[in-house]
Amino acid sequence: MQSIQKNIKNSDLLLEVNNLNVFFDTADGKIQAVKDVNLFINKGECLGIVGESGSGKTQTFFSITGLLSSNGYCNGSAIFKDFDLISASEDKKREYLGKSIGFIFQDPMTSLTPHMKIGEQLSEIATFHDNLSKSEALKRALNVLDIVKLPKSRNLINSYPHELSGGMKQRIMIAISLMCSPELIIADEPTTALDVTTQSEILNIFNDLQKGMGISIVLISHNIGVIAETSDRVMVMKGGKVVEKGSTFDVLTSPKDEYTKHLLSCIPPWLEG
Amino acid sequence: MIKFITKRLIIAIPTLLIIIAFGFIMMRVAPGGPFTNERALPPEIERNIQEAYNLNKPIYEQFFIYIKNLSVGDFGPSFKYKDFTVKELIISGLPVSATLGLSSIFISLILGSFLGIIAAIRKNTYFDYSIMGISLIGICVPSFVMAPILSLFFGLYLGLLPTSGWNGGNIFNLILPITALSLPQIAVISRMMRSSTIEVLNSNFIRTAKSKGLKSSYIIRKHVIRASILPIIEYLAPASAGLMTGSIIVEQIFGLPGIGRYFVVGALQRDYTLVSGVMILYASLLIILILITDILRAYLDPRVKI
Ligand SMILES: Nc1ncnc2c1ncn2[C@@H]1O[C@H](COP(=O)(O)OP(=O)(O)OP(=O)(O)O)[C@@H](O)[C@H]1O
Ligand SMILES: [Mg+2]
Repeated sequence: MQSIQKNIKNSDLLLEVNNLNVFFDTADGKIQAVKDVNLFINKGECLGIVGESGSGKTQTFFSITGLLSSNGYCNGSAIFKDFDLISASEDKKREYLGKSIGFIFQDPMTSLTPHMKIGEQLSEIATFHDNLSKSEALKRALNVLDIVKLPKSRNLINSYPHELSGGMKQRIMIAISLMCSPELIIADEPTTALDVTTQSEILNIFNDLQKGMGISIVLISHNIGVIAETSDRVMVMKGGKVVEKGSTFDVLTSPKDEYTKHLLSCIPPWLEG
Repeated sequence: MIKFITKRLIIAIPTLLIIIAFGFIMMRVAPGGPFTNERALPPEIERNIQEAYNLNKPIYEQFFIYIKNLSVGDFGPSFKYKDFTVKELIISGLPVSATLGLSSIFISLILGSFLGIIAAIRKNTYFDYSIMGISLIGICVPSFVMAPILSLFFGLYLGLLPTSGWNGGNIFNLILPITALSLPQIAVISRMMRSSTIEVLNSNFIRTAKSKGLKSSYIIRKHVIRASILPIIEYLAPASAGLMTGSIIVEQIFGLPGIGRYFVVGALQRDYTLVSGVMILYASLLIILILITDILRAYLDPRVKI
């Protein structure tokens, strides 16, 4: 009921998550990795998620997109444009995954299939969702490579993941998420594994996607500096719970929670301001 | 590619020489000889025979004579099957053994991989448990126990299938020996395939494939199998070695005129040339299989360069 009201009030709403809990069955019994998380994302907005390692950032978004490991399960709701992703059947969810929602993973080194050519890993998603022919899909792949600042070359299309650098692999991951013109991209620490220059180039791409193409972005990071640069709003997580949320400016200038203050105190002074 | 194959074949020559030398020595060290009988031969006849087969010469000289003959493709006469050369015996048995071996390897690979994949996809269901349970039996019961059981049950008790003989390669004569040979391999391969498929299914790149919203059947076909079949390809050569040793016994039990029979008879009767000849054949086959394994691996995994 509450969510419907919000939907009417705010036509810009893209994703709304209510009372999300994630559990895992482990050898030591059941553990709860995400505890009663509520969040929303508007169209064209960038939401930053910060928190220490193990605070549940990744699992929150895995549960929304149905990517939890086989020992995990969740409850709550995740309404994406009037459609509840969590209670949906696998088949129904597949129509949204890759098509309206793109996911970029934490570890670009192992996230591409080692025995498939880059071109096929890009094009298969468009042949599947948009019924393109192979050559049409490859043409689109070349255009998308341009967006992520990679050479539009047949050479790249015909190479295998092990022939690319970490930064190139991450750009390919972004390109994959862009193939079907998504409305939401979830980027899980997209720059953690990369050096500082590559990191800022990748962040620039996200900025272009958000400002230029109006794509909503969830940016997960432990680096509060990265969040400060890119996000409109932030959410701070600790131990599976949301401890603070608000506009980036408010949270960073006048943090209310002890943990957020601690996070901010860890930024070297020359990055402040 | 051609360079790689040539190089490997050249390296194979010293390997083969070492195997031949080892077999040669082992056979001579074993007590008795091809012409030792319960009733001693008159000394002069024995001396004549020994001379005719060069057995009176020192071992190293015998070895060099043997190698010299081999280099021109002469495997020598059989000591026991008096009217045949070793080459003739091998050629006569090869079609039987090759039919048996090749069918078994194909059936094991295809059935084993298939069952393993299904068990992995249906992990922790009754299908998975029954496949894994049955395969455990398959691993524990060797061919030489399986063969008589099959023969007894399907041949004698149910009377469905012939229990012995080649019968010109009749399919019904082949079913029982091929089953006896394949079952242990199917068991091993399905277990390997199950665990490697489970590992691949949990890998990051499969999560990427799922995040693309692709159908699971497509993901299995395009993203999973080529990665999860790699350990099975590695197992190809050991599996073939297992089939070769298995076939020696299975041919014996089902009365098939293959090469395995000559190996057993040759070893028991100290037919030096016959045993060496069969050993060279088996060793060469294995060397070729290992080569094929490497080529296949490079084809399946683009990170491997040959
Ligand atoms: N398959 C699993 N089985 C059991 N526990 C799990 C599983 N996956 C994750 N967890 C637990 O869930 C918790 C949250 O993990 P999550 O991956 O969301 O952390 P994170 O905030 O993304 O951390 P990082 O910054 O290191 O990526 C962790 O304590 C982790 O141990
Ligand atoms: Mg994470």
